[in-house]
Amino acid sequence: MNHSPSSDISAATSPQAQAATGRRPGTGIGKAMTIPGQVVSVLVLVLPLLVALYMSFTDWSPTRGSLFDASFVGFENYSELLVYDTRFLYAVLRTALISIICLSLEFAFGLGLAVLFMREFRGKSLLFSAFLTPMMILPVVVGYIFWMLFQSNGPINQILEFLFGAQACVEWFRSAPFAVTAVIITEVWHWTPLFFLILLSGLNSVPENPVRAAVILGASPRQVFWRVVLPMLKPVIIVAFVIRSMEIIKLFDEVFMLTRGGPGSSTETISLYIYKLAFNDFQLAYGAAAAFIVLIGSLVLVHMLLAPVRDQLLDGGR
Amino acid sequence: MTQPKLELVNLVKEYENGDVVAVDGINLAVEAGETIALLGSSGCGKSTTLNMVVGLEQPTTGDIRIDGRSVVGVPAGKRNVGLVFQDYAVFTSMSVRRNLAFGLEVRKTPKAEIARAVDEVAELLGMQDKLDASARELGGSELQRVAIGRTLVTRPSILLLDEPLSNLETAARHAMRQELRRLQREIGLTIIYVTHDQVEALSLADRIAVMNAGHILQVEQTSRICERPEHVYVAGFLGSPPMNLVSGKLAARKDALVFRSTAFDLPLCALADLQAYPGEQTFSLGIKPERIALTNPGKGMISGTVTLAEPRGHESVLSVTVRGEELKVVVPVESQPAEGTAVDLILPPDALAFFDGETNKRTDILPEGR
Amino acid sequence: MLTKRLSLVQAVLMAMALVVVLFPVFWILMTAIKPPTDWNASPAIWFPSQPTLINFKTLFDPAAIREYGVGGVSQAATDAVFGSILASVTATAISVAIGLFSAIGISRYGNGSKSTPLVILSGRMFPPAAIAVPFVIMFSTIGLIDSFTGLIAIYVAVTLPFSTWMIKSFVDDLPREIEEAAMMDGRSRIGAHLTVTIPLIKGGLFATTMFVFILNWSEFMFALVLSYTNVSTIPVQLAKYVTATAGTLYGVQAALAVLAMVPLVIVGYLIQSHLARGMTFGAIKQ
Repeated sequence: MNHSPSSDISAATSPQAQAATGRRPGTGIGKAMTIPGQVVSVLVLVLPLLVALYMSFTDWSPTRGSLFDASFVGFENYSELLVYDTRFLYAVLRTALISIICLSLEFAFGLGLAVLFMREFRGKSLLFSAFLTPMMILPVVVGYIFWMLFQSNGPINQILEFLFGAQACVEWFRSAPFAVTAVIITEVWHWTPLFFLILLSGLNSVPENPVRAAVILGASPRQVFWRVVLPMLKPVIIVAFVIRSMEIIKLFDEVFMLTRGGPGSSTETISLYIYKLAFNDFQLAYGAAAAFIVLIGSLVLVHMLLAPVRDQLLDGGR
Repeated sequence: MTQPKLELVNLVKEYENGDVVAVDGINLAVEAGETIALLGSSGCGKSTTLNMVVGLEQPTTGDIRIDGRSVVGVPAGKRNVGLVFQDYAVFTSMSVRRNLAFGLEVRKTPKAEIARAVDEVAELLGMQDKLDASARELGGSELQRVAIGRTLVTRPSILLLDEPLSNLETAARHAMRQELRRLQREIGLTIIYVTHDQVEALSLADRIAVMNAGHILQVEQTSRICERPEHVYVAGFLGSPPMNLVSGKLAARKDALVFRSTAFDLPLCALADLQAYPGEQTFSLGIKPERIALTNPGKGMISGTVTLAEPRGHESVLSVTVRGEELKVVVPVESQPAEGTAVDLILPPDALAFFDGETNKRTDILPEGR
Repeated sequence: MLTKRLSLVQAVLMAMALVVVLFPVFWILMTAIKPPTDWNASPAIWFPSQPTLINFKTLFDPAAIREYGVGGVSQAATDAVFGSILASVTATAISVAIGLFSAIGISRYGNGSKSTPLVILSGRMFPPAAIAVPFVIMFSTIGLIDSFTGLIAIYVAVTLPFSTWMIKSFVDDLPREIEEAAMMDGRSRIGAHLTVTIPLIKGGLFATTMFVFILNWSEFMFALVLSYTNVSTIPVQLAKYVTATAGTLYGVQAALAVLAMVPLVIVGYLIQSHLARGMTFGAIKQ
């Protein structure tokens, strides 16, 4: 377990270990307590990451023997991906598009539902649990459920036919726009509850007096909501968006169950593309390079989003 | 007779279907341009009263009239009543300017007019250089100014202030107190303070209304209320330390009227001087600590022992125990006896107040009255 | 004043939302108890003509379905159920145990560094498909591929940020003075943590354990690429069922899906007040 590279890396990954200035009593114990966690992180996350990074600069594939025999190709994989690989470009754009639509809808529905839950009504706690149900179901099962619902003889078409006639029925998985729509509906159903949950807890902790003050100053309920309540929710909203962005960038399980990226590659997300590169086409080195491009892109994106609320998110609200 | 600015008529507020009565039939008339304090400890109903006046809560029964017109049913925000919260409730997501402009923006007032009103109020409060700061960066007294200014911009006819000084440091309190008095003079607002702090009430208000358990017990000029409390609760609440209260009975002994408590008997006057014998019922005897005089043992009316002496600037507050009953006495610090000293007390008859044991209201028993 | 009653329009909107939220759940539950004749009916049958538990039985005894004249599934889900339980429970226990120590260490002795959590968060953003690649290579080299040891190691590493940060947020809620008082009484630092800190965050520890269990039980991709014959989990088995028998074995597939989701929904309801905290690394507390 305790081989040499781990010690260098652990120092690099845990600034608190190296910057042991301003010692407090018990700092040694504190460091000792975090060692198991650091060892696991290094062995199981950092090490593979470094292997993947090295690999992304080679032309290695499992059919060509050991990784150490692979020839170094510099940035060739990267330039190929960024310049010539339109499938990659489309996967990125598609993921971005699906993310933007999903997050907007999840936010809108979640906020609407959370606002309704600020009202008084009977059976509130029971309904609260009911509305959280989707996010408690595992993604693979959610994907499977909606795969069933969207079958051409499934209930969704049945309802469409009942409402709008037989011509409203859709072969959901046979055309690109409908397949993407199915993915979005699935994803929105699955994760709106998270927005609802986070926004409701935000709404509940909005202080009452500014709201009362606004009412007394003559603001209508609408004005109170948009001008006073919503701005106070901003940190919570950003937290919700950051958390969801981090997850939806990796969107895989539901799409795998729903469409496998099809028809063609019309619902292929970044994760699905990398998965196919690595495990269907065995282009492991190329897939690793794609992963690092995505990582850097999403790091930049999330950190930009995060900037205004970094302290709240990372310090657990302290 | 001029019309009161604000009138509360038999105002009642009940919660939980009448199980909790927060405000129990209060009547109050506030004159235009007057500054009045609603004084009482927490839970006395003063905040509920305030919420009803401003329109955040609806009275169960009774009426609220502004300029003679009932405003019950008029929504908050349309009553032309301003409220400054204890925690200021400034909109932290906005700049000072946006805070001040808020009341006019939501009314869709023209931009130029808003700008003019904001500048005017900023000048009044001395905040011109802070207009573009974020409200989040402000300190306690600045937040208070914004909260007041935000309300003044809408030109309320009545300004309500909820515990306006309690969240401020001592130095800021003094400054703000002067500021509030100046504002009051300059714009002649009708102001109602709600506070639990008698010093605040005494220093800011023209009149004080003392509230307890949903009732207004006494409304009186600030200058007189400490001298002449009309209710045993007011007597025990106002002043620092407040009036000594001893409960006991009146009795005739020989030809004199005597106040008998478990601790002491106090001869009051000759029976012959009384117009009518007040009877055997219970009374509370009240006397202000400043009005009790000390003398050497054997020379006064009541004998006791100094159990505690607390110097307080140029004077000293003594606790004198008289057979289990503790009386507070204020003496000049130079003549403060040591703890444990036996002393006699003199209670001048004209300093005594009596409160009926049943109604808790003041009654005049002694012939001179006062 | 904020708490007005729901208006009629709002009540109707909420009822519609409720139907949308619950319909898919209703559908999977109904499908799981449909007999084979109802599975692929066109138009779809909403309520089973004859509710049956045969689909669940078939999961563990592939031949059972034959009594309905259906060919049966190729593979029992017994190993997958066993695999899911083994991998999730073990990985959860290890992850929470390690996370507990890290959390106390960071909360009580950390120097307030901002970059450690950023490193962890960044790790969360890396597409798992890409992490899976080096894993496959490394595990093939050291013989951990298609083994529970390998899968559990990955699960521990992937959930460690969640367990650490969620537990840390509970420890942060405790005032330091409580432990300091115990130390005054002559206990060592470690002793104070064991006898004071940990008992006081029992509830939080339980919530964290359940939350990490949800994450592990739900995991799909690593199990997919690291399992061949020895190791299987319910999500992988479900994917195999769907691929192998698409459209023909709805009932059995649905039964497995129900088996997969029921424990999670129960656990989810149990810790629903802590879900926001878990999902946001302790940033949102309720």
